[in-house]
Amino acid sequence: MAVEAQRTPRPAPLAFRGRRRPGLATAGLVGPPVLWLVLLFVVPVGIAVVYSIGVLSFFPGEAKFSFAAWKDFFDWSPYLQLFVKRSLKVAAFVSVASVVLAYPVAYFLALCTTKRKYTLLLLIVTPAFVSYFLRLLAMKVVLGDNGLLNSIAYSLGRNRDHPIPQLLYSQTAVIATLVFVFIPFVALPIFVSLENLDRRLLEAASDLGATRLQAFWRVTFKLSLPGVIAGFVFVFIPTLGEYFTPLIVGGTTGFLFGNSISDLFGPSLDWQAGSVLSVFLVAVVVVLMAVFARFISMKRVAG
Amino acid sequence: MDISTSKWGYRGLAAWFAVFAVILYTPLVLLVVFSFNNNELPVFPLKGFSTHAYQQFWGNPDLKGSLKTSFEIAAVSSVAAVVLGILASIALVRRRFVGKAAAAGLLLSPLVIPYIIFGIALTILFHVIGIPQGLWTVVMGHIVISLPYTILVLVPRLERIDVRLEEAAQDLGAGAFRTFRSITFPLILPAIVSALLVAATASFDEIIIASFVAGDTVTWPIYLLSQLRFPTLLPQVIAVAVIVIAVSALIVVASEVGRRYFERRLGAQLAAAEAGA
Repeated sequence: MAVEAQRTPRPAPLAFRGRRRPGLATAGLVGPPVLWLVLLFVVPVGIAVVYSIGVLSFFPGEAKFSFAAWKDFFDWSPYLQLFVKRSLKVAAFVSVASVVLAYPVAYFLALCTTKRKYTLLLLIVTPAFVSYFLRLLAMKVVLGDNGLLNSIAYSLGRNRDHPIPQLLYSQTAVIATLVFVFIPFVALPIFVSLENLDRRLLEAASDLGATRLQAFWRVTFKLSLPGVIAGFVFVFIPTLGEYFTPLIVGGTTGFLFGNSISDLFGPSLDWQAGSVLSVFLVAVVVVLMAVFARFISMKRVAG
Repeated sequence: MDISTSKWGYRGLAAWFAVFAVILYTPLVLLVVFSFNNNELPVFPLKGFSTHAYQQFWGNPDLKGSLKTSFEIAAVSSVAAVVLGILASIALVRRRFVGKAAAAGLLLSPLVIPYIIFGIALTILFHVIGIPQGLWTVVMGHIVISLPYTILVLVPRLERIDVRLEEAAQDLGAGAFRTFRSITFPLILPAIVSALLVAATASFDEIIIASFVAGDTVTWPIYLLSQLRFPTLLPQVIAVAVIVIAVSALIVVASEVGRRYFERRLGAQLAAAEAGA
């Protein structure tokens, strides 16, 4: 910031005056990447909006302007029910569980270790870079009928013909797998916010007579909230549209809202209803991002 | 007293950290174990050591073909994403312009937005403008999702470079491109390498967008998905998975270690320059 302030008032050197057009250069820099996202993301979502109200039709056939598809959807349709009763619930559960489980780890790394802090952090974060798909596959090996958990249960005397019910191909499996997949992404922002904490504040709290618990709750935790919220968002929002995890470990009972979308664009071939669901999901995500963006600044999180 | 933890609190946290790490790595270790297990199915009990799965994989042209396809997609999309990422990062760090927050939000949005939305968006776009689906449509999609990762790697690095170095070059008569080539580029090179690796890893095992827009092209994750239905082929798929996991973990660790090395070296150089001045 200081650098910025220093730079701005400086007039361009004489030799460049009139020739340099910084406005144009800025457009040249920011233009291509922004255009790429506009073309491949914003425009198609716009097209989906247009198609969802029947102004045009995706396939040869008559297009008729109507909000019928939207009315059907909001009329407590099975899709909306799936979103509210399953996806919202699973997303809330997964994100809260991830934050609760990851917080002590981030706290330990940021405040209790001095040596090898970043090496240990790397240890926790590396699995996040291992393919999401392969980690799903790995969870199958843990949860399956002859997987790790059931084999442990068998060796403890459980009947081999009756594996633990609902371990794989269930909503529980979806939740457990998503927590496993997302947790490194949650530990990281919490770590960064704890790492930036000014330790003198804790000493001050202690000098003023706070117990450890009071100091934690009223200083440390409050100041780590941006990291906690960021971690929560990184899990909650992607989970709302999750469809691949249920596909692999969810079975029929683990089916989520995202699976309906992929089904409508795939086998069911009802792109209009699919557009309604997609636009609805985009709207929910954008609103949530706008709400959470007030609490977190990207800079503080990415460190 | 240490205000952050008591002695027992410390022990508790350390224990939880250990449990956490074990839970995180157990499934991955299991994949390694099963890849060497002498059994058609990835199930307990183990039946003895064998490298059969790895030998089978060498003799499977479909599997090797899919790996090659994914490698090509990762190579092209990561280079493109890094080029766009450099442009975006310079604009975000060095320039002020109207709508900067909105542009940053849009560019970083793929970090949070469910990938299925990008999958659908691309399906609709390619359908409407009539682009046949295949390798190139996957590349286009992967550029979208890799871009924010490259920005996250490049921005902190650019922020640490002394702006006066670039200004000095311009005062000495270098144009914008020459300044970038001679000053900015060498200084951010370690971050560019990290960004390339991160983008390539993100693309290499991406399945959601690929499954929407790949058409007949078979990438490695798509091949893997198709094989889940045929248990007999699973061991070799797991063997490849193990190799992929090992390589991607190695890349992450190596790029992090490399980054730290260059940061230290740059720090020392800058300190020396300051002292000299």
